[in-house]
Amino acid sequence: MNKEMDLKAVVAQLRDGMTIGFGGWGPRRKPMALVREILRSDLKDLTLVAYGGPEIGMLCASGKVKKLIYGFVSLDAMPIEPYFRKAREAGAVEVSELDEGLLLLGLQAAGHKLPFAATRVGLGSDVMKYNPDFKTVKSPYGDGEVLLAMPAIKLDVALIHVSRADRLGNTQTDGPDPFFDGLFARAADKVFVTTEVLVDRIDAEYSDKAKSQLFERCFVSGVVKAPLGAHPTASHDAYGWDMAHLKDYAASATEEGGWQRYFDQYVKGDEASYAASVGGEAKIRALPLPIF
Amino acid sequence: MTKFLPLSQAVADNLNNGDTVAFEGFTHLIPTAAAHEAIRQGFKDLTLVRMTPDLIYDQMIGMGMARKAVFSYAGNPGVGLLRRLRDAVENGFPHALEIEEHSHAAMANAYEAGAAGLPCAIFRGYRGAELAQVNPNIKSVTCPFTGEVLAAVPSVRPDVTFIHAQKANKKGDVLVEGIIGIQKEAALAAKRAVVTVEEVVDNFDDLHPNLTVLPNWSVTAISVVPGGAHPSYAHGYYIRDNASYLEWDEIAADRDRFREWMQENVIEKSADDFAARVEHLRNVA
Repeated sequence: MNKEMDLKAVVAQLRDGMTIGFGGWGPRRKPMALVREILRSDLKDLTLVAYGGPEIGMLCASGKVKKLIYGFVSLDAMPIEPYFRKAREAGAVEVSELDEGLLLLGLQAAGHKLPFAATRVGLGSDVMKYNPDFKTVKSPYGDGEVLLAMPAIKLDVALIHVSRADRLGNTQTDGPDPFFDGLFARAADKVFVTTEVLVDRIDAEYSDKAKSQLFERCFVSGVVKAPLGAHPTASHDAYGWDMAHLKDYAASATEEGGWQRYFDQYVKGDEASYAASVGGEAKIRALPLPIF
Repeated sequence: MTKFLPLSQAVADNLNNGDTVAFEGFTHLIPTAAAHEAIRQGFKDLTLVRMTPDLIYDQMIGMGMARKAVFSYAGNPGVGLLRRLRDAVENGFPHALEIEEHSHAAMANAYEAGAAGLPCAIFRGYRGAELAQVNPNIKSVTCPFTGEVLAAVPSVRPDVTFIHAQKANKKGDVLVEGIIGIQKEAALAAKRAVVTVEEVVDNFDDLHPNLTVLPNWSVTAISVVPGGAHPSYAHGYYIRDNASYLEWDEIAADRDRFREWMQENVIEKSADDFAARVEHLRNVA
């Protein structure tokens, strides 16, 4: 079975109003090539679910978002993502603002095909006040403890960027942190991955790295070869984030017509013109990995 | 702070009469050396928890150490029954054993809930099964969103969990890989976690993070016991000793032969004897 697709074919599978989850974490390993392809499309009314980075800000900036479900939206060095901040302050999108644990549990419940997850996370905070649709359940045992019932966050689609993949849908992910990509994959009806490297059979060429597979290929509907596809976010071990570019992007949020300027300058064409516009492949590959 | 201790001291420091204890392992990495040390030290009135009680719980029950067993599959894997457990349940020999039987999914969820500090686990299970009729701990919770009735079981929070793992680093972090069973959750659910390992290495810098690692702050004590999972296997170190499982079926079938075998192979032995038992099982393709 050959699951290889191109960016356009993936976006053609998406529909207005869908709930879309993004792997990665802040400015780390985001499926930005697919995000840019969505920006080039006329999709709208999307519900986005993420430990958010620039994908959330860009999709908000382009008016494609109806609702955000998130633990945070950040560019790390810039604590609050600039276009997310604009949308949030303007009340332009609905939000379900969660702590990171509740987002994890909501995705996990969906992956387990359960309607909710019982947890202590979120109790004693204002999470229930600002998410009035959340409910509680009571332990049926002698303790009678009241727990928050975190509703399952079912995704129509998860978009995830990986280091290597094959045409069968097997994937491998380098770097010190797998984030919660496995939960996003299992919570989704369909998973589309972009990959730095695409081979016919990953078991033939990278069997020594089999332990870096984060989710099984049965969850993967499509694989897109997209080298440098996480730029301007980091993609371990291939390249680090492009903080200079992210600062230019952030600056555009303060300019009149700034988003249109950013879109026209970088996004409008295709991925080849994008790579050229941000300095070319050699420059991206030389971006140092963030070390903490 | 994780303590590196001889196994005899790690067991003496962390197990008490009357404790609820899990010796977890799922076909792979069964903590036999720790269980044998507990047998030598002669603990009583234990509540033994495990998804898959096998030879070590048969041995502990046969030696009269257990008051209760909480489990989801009791058997000699690939061979048949646990004859000492069966003798205790059917004949009260050497004394009566209370049993609480669950499904595998329930036990796994119960450990996970215990690790999360929750009173109970809520999951989709026991549909079309009659275990709830004989196990009053199986209850239900109605989903406040969908109205779906889900199963509930009490969380498992052992006083102490014993597991066997491939290796620890010098800080006391623990690597478990291959078939990982429910060991991580069982260790995190317990008040105290004791880990026997094949070896200790300087650091885990060469390991991918997508591996089961128990952080040192979750581990009470570590004992280095090469071969400590025998007759089960340790992925990357030695293969399973299938002959021992077949042999156990005959040993456990007879009360006297069981006692003799335990005297000779457990009571009169020590943790140091395990390495030799796996020597012929190493480097086997």
